Amino acid sequence: MSDKRAAKYDVLFEPIQIGPKIMKNRFHQSPHCIGAGTDRPGFQMAHRGVKAEGGWGAINTEYCSIHPESDDTMRVSARIWDAGDVRNLRAMCDEVHKHDALAGIEMWYGGAHAPNMETRQTPRGPSQYASEFETLTYCQEMDLDDIRQVQQFYVDAALRARDAGFDIVNVYGGHAYGPMQWLSPYFNKRTDGYGGSVENRARFWIETLEKVKRAVGDDCAVASRCAIDTLYGPGGVEVEVDGLRLIELADPFVDVWDINIGDIAQWGEDAAPSRFQRQGHALPWQRLVKQTSKKPVLGIGRFTDPEKMAEVIRNGELDIISCARPSIADPFLPNKIKEGRIDDIRTCIGCNVCISRWEIGGPPMICTQNATAGEEYRRSWHPEKFENAKSDDTILVVGAGPAGGEAARVLMERGYVTHLVDSAEKVGGHVNDVATLPGLGEWGYHRDYREVQINKLLKKVKGSQLALGQKRLTADDVLNYGAEKVIIATGASWNTDGTNALTHEPIPGADASRPDQVTPEQIFRGEKAIGKRVVILNSDTYFMAPSLAERLATQGHEVTVISGVGFGHYMHFSLEYPNMKRRMVELNVKVLGDHWASRIEPGRIEYYNVWAEGSRREYRGPGKLPRDENTSQKWLEFDTLVLVTGRHSDNTLFREVKARQDEWEKHGIKNVYVIGDAWAPKMMADATFDGHRIAREIEDADPQHPLPYKREVISWGTAYQPGGEYKQEWRL
Amino acid sequence: MKILVPVKQIASLDDQFEMRDDGRDVDEDYLEKDLNEFDHFSVEEALLIKEAAGDGVEVVVAIIGDDDSDDALRTALAKGADRGIRVWDDSLAEADGTSVARILAKVVEREKPDMVFTGAQSSDFGSATTGMALAGLLGWPHAAVVSNLEYKPGASSAKLRRELEGGLEEIMTIRCPAVLSIQLGINQPRYASLRGIKQAKQKPVDELSLDDLGLGASDVEPAFHVRKMYAPERGKAELITGSAAEQAARLAQIIKEIRGM
Repeated sequence: MSDKRAAKYDVLFEPIQIGPKIMKNRFHQSPHCIGAGTDRPGFQMAHRGVKAEGGWGAINTEYCSIHPESDDTMRVSARIWDAGDVRNLRAMCDEVHKHDALAGIEMWYGGAHAPNMETRQTPRGPSQYASEFETLTYCQEMDLDDIRQVQQFYVDAALRARDAGFDIVNVYGGHAYGPMQWLSPYFNKRTDGYGGSVENRARFWIETLEKVKRAVGDDCAVASRCAIDTLYGPGGVEVEVDGLRLIELADPFVDVWDINIGDIAQWGEDAAPSRFQRQGHALPWQRLVKQTSKKPVLGIGRFTDPEKMAEVIRNGELDIISCARPSIADPFLPNKIKEGRIDDIRTCIGCNVCISRWEIGGPPMICTQNATAGEEYRRSWHPEKFENAKSDDTILVVGAGPAGGEAARVLMERGYVTHLVDSAEKVGGHVNDVATLPGLGEWGYHRDYREVQINKLLKKVKGSQLALGQKRLTADDVLNYGAEKVIIATGASWNTDGTNALTHEPIPGADASRPDQVTPEQIFRGEKAIGKRVVILNSDTYFMAPSLAERLATQGHEVTVISGVGFGHYMHFSLEYPNMKRRMVELNVKVLGDHWASRIEPGRIEYYNVWAEGSRREYRGPGKLPRDENTSQKWLEFDTLVLVTGRHSDNTLFREVKARQDEWEKHGIKNVYVIGDAWAPKMMADATFDGHRIAREIEDADPQHPLPYKREVISWGTAYQPGGEYKQEWRL
Repeated sequence: MKILVPVKQIASLDDQFEMRDDGRDVDEDYLEKDLNEFDHFSVEEALLIKEAAGDGVEVVVAIIGDDDSDDALRTALAKGADRGIRVWDDSLAEADGTSVARILAKVVEREKPDMVFTGAQSSDFGSATTGMALAGLLGWPHAAVVSNLEYKPGASSAKLRRELEGGLEEIMTIRCPAVLSIQLGINQPRYASLRGIKQAKQKPVDELSLDDLGLGASDVEPAFHVRKMYAPERGKAELITGSAAEQAARLAQIIKEIRGM
């Protein structure tokens, strides 16, 4: 099947010169966080390495701090501060080079946006200001000595990067970091030679590039990431005002431009979720740089479609396609295009769950589409290769949603005869509903990938079967099915009685069997008329309540949300929050935060302020509240009440089959497992992970529970610095 | 009481394929083999009758095909058919519907079924001749594209509905035994369970030669001969890009080319 690609994609595989280096094709893995940094070199090496194997022409680190003065703890950056970091990052470079790809480093100095909570240093900037992104962090205004010193940080970091084996050093001025703080009048209030005119504001950037180029330019390509428009209008950098002027001035010192847009406080305008932006959303800005610069220009924009990628290059809008999220969802995207295997591409759905882990600060990156992302080193999972089946056991998977579909896919990849059964007419489970919500259409790619792959695998693994539209299996059906192993992935449902995360109890009067109360599923099924005045009662912290509010408000309903938890709170992490809030304002959705419901009557709901019980707390004896009674209750009328209060596993089948464990042997059943939402309601990414993991570990001792993974932690007695000592020393 | 269900293993094309060297068929490497889609419905109809009757109904599936076609036969057995018959002779490589019907007529003679259900047609060649030819050879009544059937095992007649053109339906009574060609959608075919698939491997399949059925190669000569198979040249599509003016210019150019201006 090799090299059957259509000629229109050839342009993506033309080599391109960048400074002293040749990039073998036009696929650039943009710098993106994964939670590895320099502290987990195995993770870093394996994750980037697998992409090099998958055909990316250049692979970058995440943002990499150039000096302890730029420390983003708890968020995980890479660091290139010393010889210990050089050693750890070299592992990545070596791995990337094995596959003929270039290794790049994004050299980061955060200024006031770096809270320095680990290093306790004081960041420096063009002027003194409080970060609009970070809490309580101010920077010191640099004098000329400071400028020279910080510029030297970049030079020294570039030298260390060269020694570690990096081919591309990127002076990072995107996301309002580093030199962007100098260029943007939003930060730069100076009146000396580094402030005022655009030429003055560009000076720090240009001098830094010049110094870096002089230091490493013979060995490394010098890139610069530039947010060419900060999207603030005249208060910041506008592409055709300051942006292109910087490009003109700095062009001689750059081998390749890396162009994005936006800032850090709302960097969802750059790493835009599919909910709000399509692929190539930054092209209106990026193409202007391509018209101005004499150097190659690369740019991101969640490019997922090979057709679009080729078009962008043919049209002269960019020279190189840069991808972060699409490279996570499918590390083998370039090779699949190269081999003409377009329908094997695991397309990024733009949910930004990968990014959410960086925003949370600390946890390793995960991907909704690609369960192996981040698991390459610690669990030894290759995205495209699988262990062969270790037995002839046949496997019944009940439920073809994210968990069951993924389990069946991976089991068949391994060669197990697998039967996947679902009552729905389509693979995908609840994704089929979710993808109908406003802006979430691309989430359907999760279903599409599995549907295509499962149908292909059915032909490869004889005796395997996909049975859709079936009556729901009973415990008897499962016992008599004839499978040696059974995986139950029957999903979860929204609570119909108001059971919620705040009280862990039903709400008196909540009852979705009534005509004026609905669950999200009932809305999807369209089985009840929705009245004019809608109240959404929410104690779910993700997308369901905001999505239903948007859908119903768009349809002309008057929507009020009573939310006992942060409304769409997780969407802060997925970068969907700012535009979600803008949508709520546009659509006149009223959100009563910090309120919860005490009871519901036909046509009205009694709600209260969750903080109205008084701050005084004392022991008042048994049966008495330690605080005052909450008397803030008010009534609100509705025509339809939407219950988004919580979910529960649909695990009856699992429980019933489990209860008949003594009959398993008679029926030839070796074991029965539960995964995904049926195990416990969770995010789609984690349900997909469950399915993937159990398929990988189905022959291990306790497949219901994950095997331990390889932990990357500092071992006592091992010094991080080469030649260093690991012992307590007092400075006396 | 016995129902005979003749089935076929059909071939479907990969997305990309090449023709055989002699240009008379697709290269076998590019073909996916499977049980004919229509036969899922004829097998199901027989199984429903068997299940409704309790004991006493035997469903026998028959296939004319080489070793490879055993998979299709076992697929039907896995759903619940009782046993299978596979007839093969290398001279049958280019058998057509009439040759197959001649063989099936001998199988009917041997098995003496009360009813024969065929699929309305095969999903690869779609001639829809086998059932009709079989009924002709047997001198039995035949009904094509049966979309509904009421039949009690052993009854002397069956009531059925047939789909006609223009959305019309015809209700008719047919004398039994009969050959019925079963249409898609008459029922909802079941999937085999893993138990069914495992059991199917053990179910008896009679492997018969033409000789066993008292036929010679000359009896099964196909009535037609494929001379050539090819993919007709397709019309061309072009994605027109550029500014509105550029697109309009290109469009005008294409129109001129087509009109020979």
